Amino acid sequence: MSRVVVIGAGLAGLVAANRLADAGLAVTLLHKGLGGLQLGQGSIDVFGYAPDRVLNPIKAVSQVATSHPYAATGSSAVLDGLAYLKQELPELLVGDPEANYQLPTAVGSVRPTCLAQPSMIAGHVRDGAELVIVGIRQLKDFHPQLVAENLSRTVLPDGGRLSARHVWVDLPARDGEVDSSPVGYARAFDTEAFRIAFATALSPQLNGDEIVGLPAVVGLTDPKAWRDLAGKLGHLVFEIPLPPPSIPGMRLNQALTARALAANVRIVPGVRTHAFSTVAGRVASVTTAAGPGGRTYPADAFVLATGGFESGALELDSHQVVRETLFGLPLTGVGDGALLHGDYWGPEQPLFRVGVSVDDRMRPVDPWGAPAYPNLWAAGGILAGASGWRELSGDGIAVASAVAAAAAITKELS
Amino acid sequence: MRKLAVDVVVIGGGSTGAGVVRDVAMRGYSAVLVDRADLGQGTTGRFHGLLHSGGRYVVSDPLSATECAEENDIVTRIQSSAVETTGGYFVTCPGDDPEFADKFLAGAAATGVWAREVSVSEALRNEPRLNPGISRAIEVKDGTVDGWQLVWGAANSARHYGAEILTYHRVTKIETSGGAVTAVRCIDERRGEELVIDTNFVLNCGGPWAGQIAAMAGAHPVEVVPGRGIMIAMNHRLVNRVVNRCIYPADGDILVPAHTVSIIGTTDVKVDDPDHLAIEPNEVQQMLDAGEVLVPGFRASRALHAWAGARPLIKDDRVSASDTRHMSRGMAVIDHTTRDGLDGMLTIGGGKLTTYRLMAEHIVDAMCDKLGEQRECRTAREAIPGSESGRTHKVSDRLAEREEDRFDSQIICECELMSRKMFVDAMNAQPEASFDDLRRQLRLGMGPCQGGFCSTRATGIAHADGRLSAEQATALMRLFLKNRWIGLWPILYGEQVRQTALDNWIFATLDVAHLPEPESEVTA
Repeated sequence: MSRVVVIGAGLAGLVAANRLADAGLAVTLLHKGLGGLQLGQGSIDVFGYAPDRVLNPIKAVSQVATSHPYAATGSSAVLDGLAYLKQELPELLVGDPEANYQLPTAVGSVRPTCLAQPSMIAGHVRDGAELVIVGIRQLKDFHPQLVAENLSRTVLPDGGRLSARHVWVDLPARDGEVDSSPVGYARAFDTEAFRIAFATALSPQLNGDEIVGLPAVVGLTDPKAWRDLAGKLGHLVFEIPLPPPSIPGMRLNQALTARALAANVRIVPGVRTHAFSTVAGRVASVTTAAGPGGRTYPADAFVLATGGFESGALELDSHQVVRETLFGLPLTGVGDGALLHGDYWGPEQPLFRVGVSVDDRMRPVDPWGAPAYPNLWAAGGILAGASGWRELSGDGIAVASAVAAAAAITKELS
Repeated sequence: MRKLAVDVVVIGGGSTGAGVVRDVAMRGYSAVLVDRADLGQGTTGRFHGLLHSGGRYVVSDPLSATECAEENDIVTRIQSSAVETTGGYFVTCPGDDPEFADKFLAGAAATGVWAREVSVSEALRNEPRLNPGISRAIEVKDGTVDGWQLVWGAANSARHYGAEILTYHRVTKIETSGGAVTAVRCIDERRGEELVIDTNFVLNCGGPWAGQIAAMAGAHPVEVVPGRGIMIAMNHRLVNRVVNRCIYPADGDILVPAHTVSIIGTTDVKVDDPDHLAIEPNEVQQMLDAGEVLVPGFRASRALHAWAGARPLIKDDRVSASDTRHMSRGMAVIDHTTRDGLDGMLTIGGGKLTTYRLMAEHIVDAMCDKLGEQRECRTAREAIPGSESGRTHKVSDRLAEREEDRFDSQIICECELMSRKMFVDAMNAQPEASFDDLRRQLRLGMGPCQGGFCSTRATGIAHADGRLSAEQATALMRLFLKNRWIGLWPILYGEQVRQTALDNWIFATLDVAHLPEPESEVTA
């Protein structure tokens, strides 16, 4: 029997499982789907907009309202989590909690993020930079001309300007394909032969010291693929994340999963946790919908890291009732009026701030502040009071709440 | 200022106007159609897609029933590419009066509407999601029709006969002199330029806006009573035939399989302004309850989008008895000579999309009478361009096409299987189109992801094509997403919330909210 069961394999679940295993606890990680990392941008957002563009994310963390998840985790858990990720994934994450990178996106915005992959950071926008954005004809989710023109007309956060132009490379990931997925390209870039072919097609189009912006598909399993390509081109290169499937997100997911397995976390993929039992007011076990009658996982502590509406952890039914779908936990942010409004570019939809509130040890609480169950913790997108995609705070909340929950559980069980 | 001179100006680019301009052009008149927006952006694009067999009216409105049956055959023949011959059922649900089915069958026999009672087990075998509690089922020849393809087909046919189609031309005044129409003044909304079209005849096909248009000629007020109806598109085809409740026509009693979705409709609420049609929460709940009666578990299905349309009902005491020759139930031609002492203008109202061609025939016949000319209507005999083969649409058509061209063109909208080539061709054919205009012809963004993946692709392609600056392309994307939300948030629950959250994460990866602001927001 594991001492802790973590439910969900997004960033929060993976960090929680790793931290608990590091503390010497036997951990089981149950998850249904892929986890959110592979749907995101593959960097670690801490605070991007508050609501104005954030330059120093950790400072923004320290200034949140008391209803924000960062108020429960505190800045120290954020710093602890970021240091942990950098230390454990040195080839994949670099950066400074006090200074956001400002990185180009696949439509040409400038996006703030805290820790980025080394393959992305040459794109950090600077006054006077000369960029060339490279599209691949057979890859439909990257628009080099739009990126270049939008970047060129942008006043940078420091008031400067950069120049950007675009070029195209016509090189299928596999012979004859016109509509290759990012995964197809990433696998191709893992091979030396494809990198040579790509560099051969691109090199003649590059000028001087231009910094080369590429869609983020430069290798999936080979972490050195982008460095090798940069060497072949003789230019600085940077990757720009695409819509899902996210290759940088897959890299993080693979690395954190491998680390968890190495730390003896028992990972049970492809199972939906749909029921639980209690004994004397404590959660005794959860049950997955695997096989006849399901399978039951008892433990001393449970971490709910199931995400938000995107993963099905929260649900709004056709009668406008919101529900946390596993434990039926009390929710914050419902019953204060309309959950949705019609102004798309206006204020955040109140629905997407709904979630569970937690105490200072990251345990979900009822409206009076008492823990719903003394041995149930929560981390990540299930938490109320923030809009991760609007603030660009989702990763930071996931990491900090996972670190804080793991610390509280470790203290409790040891 | 630009000037044109034609025999006839048709105002309104819905199904009626498109049918009228085709008919006018086929009879040899020079003609221009003007609409303040895109074709099929009003009522025509906001219905459920039902091509009536006539069954709905066999008891309540026998004349309409016969007209529908006849026109269904004609439209299926001349516009086959816009029509899917799904067939339909009228079913008696638990609690419905089972004797209505007898009245229905008698009415069908009397009106010439084909109908055949089938066993409940046959109906349930063919439509397994139907309420197993139904007690009777009658098969009819209901079909579905894509309103936008219907309108564009008729407009293209009219062009073929020399007519000019001017979208985004808003009429500002109908000039008269000595009691007769002399010209139509418009603003070209895309260029901000005035256009004056000299003409002796105006055919007012404004639907719910017909009253506003008649007023521009100084006619006595034409009282239009827009009847708002809401529709909800559910993901997938819950049924493959049109399913109607076998009752006296009421709200929420039709479920229509259209392309990849099924559409439940509709309500009928009087409103004042056809430009502001709300989708009220109570009507959404009413539709979901109604869907549950036809297909148990309906509420657990995924709602994709909702919209509201305004019926073009004209209530006019001043229509004189002499007009009845050109009137039939459900449609009305207003002769402004007898009514207002104004020569050279006719207004048409009422009617339904299924009978759009017949409406056109009526009003153009009336025009010919007034001009003292004998010119025969030929619209029922000739197929529109693209429908010559007579092959009707199948839901699997696009899949077959993409299988065919998958090594030649990328799929830009996976939900609706729209290729890059389709998108580029449509942009070239309509260079000034917004993404919503293209959506109506291509179904861009109309599937489950509601633009999550395809909106930025469309933006990138439109910009790479060189026609739009990054600023313009970005502005079109912002408008497209804003417009998608109008039809999303009123029905947002269940799986579609999950999709919306995913879309929001995608837009966060791209940071679309912080693209450099356009100088001015595009609003249409």
